[in-house]
Amino acid sequence: MTIIFLKNIGRFIFLILFQVLILNNIQFSGYINPYFYIYFILLLPFETPHWLLLLSAFLLGITLDAFTNTFGLNASACVLMAFVRPFVITSISTGTEFMPGHSPSLKNQGIKWFTYYSVILILVHHFSLFYLEIFRFKEFFQTLLRVLLSSLFTLLLVFIAEYLSYPAKK
Amino acid sequence: MRYLLYFLQKRYIYFLFLALEILSLVLLFNYNDYQNSALTHISSGFAGSILNVSNDVSEYFSLRRVNRILAEDNAKLHSNRSDAFYKADTESFFHKDTLYKLEYRYISAKVINNSTNKRNNFLMLNKGHLQGIENHMGVIMGNRIVGQVVSVSNHFCWVMSLLNKDSKISGKFKKNNQLVNIEWGGGNYQIGEVKEIPKHVVINIGDTIITSGNSDIFPEGLLIGTIDHFKIAQEENFNYATIRFATDFNSLSFVEVLIDMMSKEKENLKKSFKTNER
Repeated sequence: MTIIFLKNIGRFIFLILFQVLILNNIQFSGYINPYFYIYFILLLPFETPHWLLLLSAFLLGITLDAFTNTFGLNASACVLMAFVRPFVITSISTGTEFMPGHSPSLKNQGIKWFTYYSVILILVHHFSLFYLEIFRFKEFFQTLLRVLLSSLFTLLLVFIAEYLSYPAKK
Repeated sequence: MRYLLYFLQKRYIYFLFLALEILSLVLLFNYNDYQNSALTHISSGFAGSILNVSNDVSEYFSLRRVNRILAEDNAKLHSNRSDAFYKADTESFFHKDTLYKLEYRYISAKVINNSTNKRNNFLMLNKGHLQGIENHMGVIMGNRIVGQVVSVSNHFCWVMSLLNKDSKISGKFKKNNQLVNIEWGGGNYQIGEVKEIPKHVVINIGDTIITSGNSDIFPEGLLIGTIDHFKIAQEENFNYATIRFATDFNSLSFVEVLIDMMSKEKENLKKSFKTNER
């Protein structure tokens, strides 16, 4: 229990620093900016209580906001994402596949399940983040393009991270 | 009452969700009132110190370019020194008059956090209240504009760069002083939009746009950019053009904050006008 707790705190700090120091400095033609830090929310264990999910997501978002000086922007997107996470899990699960004490992962849940899971949650987060940042419908399609491209890139990073943490069997 | 409690207990997740969402949206939209609050103070101090370390590392990679810019600036300053001028009319140099009064003071600051890839971009500089920086001061690099200070802590300040949806710069054509507005529409950080160009102004590609001096933030004549592309509107009253910024926002490392020594006087003047009006 304590180990899971410490592991998640370590992941929290690492992902925030990775996002602030590396990803926020990436520049691809102004359309792609991946928000990989939400990997933290994707990987919280299955039986995390819903309220803890919401609170830790809020904490994650507000911490990142402190670095980018956008108070509330990332926090609200993260809270929304954490709120829908249990509904996404129940709606795409067949009910048998997860064990207690485990986090969602590519290895345990299979590629199909994990892809659905992360695509839906990443899109929820990126949609609310980018449209809140713009807060106008004038640039609707331009923003849509940014949402889709950035989501694709975040997804790519999530998959790379999954393969790095669970190397293929020999 | 019991049912109400039962209801709250059963649905507490929804209320928690709503509470957190509302809290973050309030933070987001009241952001402008928040600028000088304790929260921003603490966070820019802490986040600033981490970003400072990160910048100390990345600074090494741009030393070469910084040196070149410094050398260029030095040359420019040397050519402005009094002994670089030919003194044809010596008397005017010894005139003890009050014609010239210092209006702008410059403070050099280092950029420790910068972005160009968001829709709303900000810079963080390593100078703050203690160095005399206050809200709404202009930030420039050489004679090119960068942005405007929007939030200050003791040692750092946040600058809203030109690359922001809320940033609107009043500029003019250098050739005929026609006023236009410059905004940034997202996407490419080198290209901005020029709006409200009157129909009768003849636009050429490469025309220079400079600041108009109509706002209190920037003095007249700072370089904004050159016309990159333009479109003659058929039905509307104004033409539209895109502008290539003179500032390379992606490689800012040292900038200057403009301190307007006469801003108080200007503000008081405006205030007195407003009170007279009533």
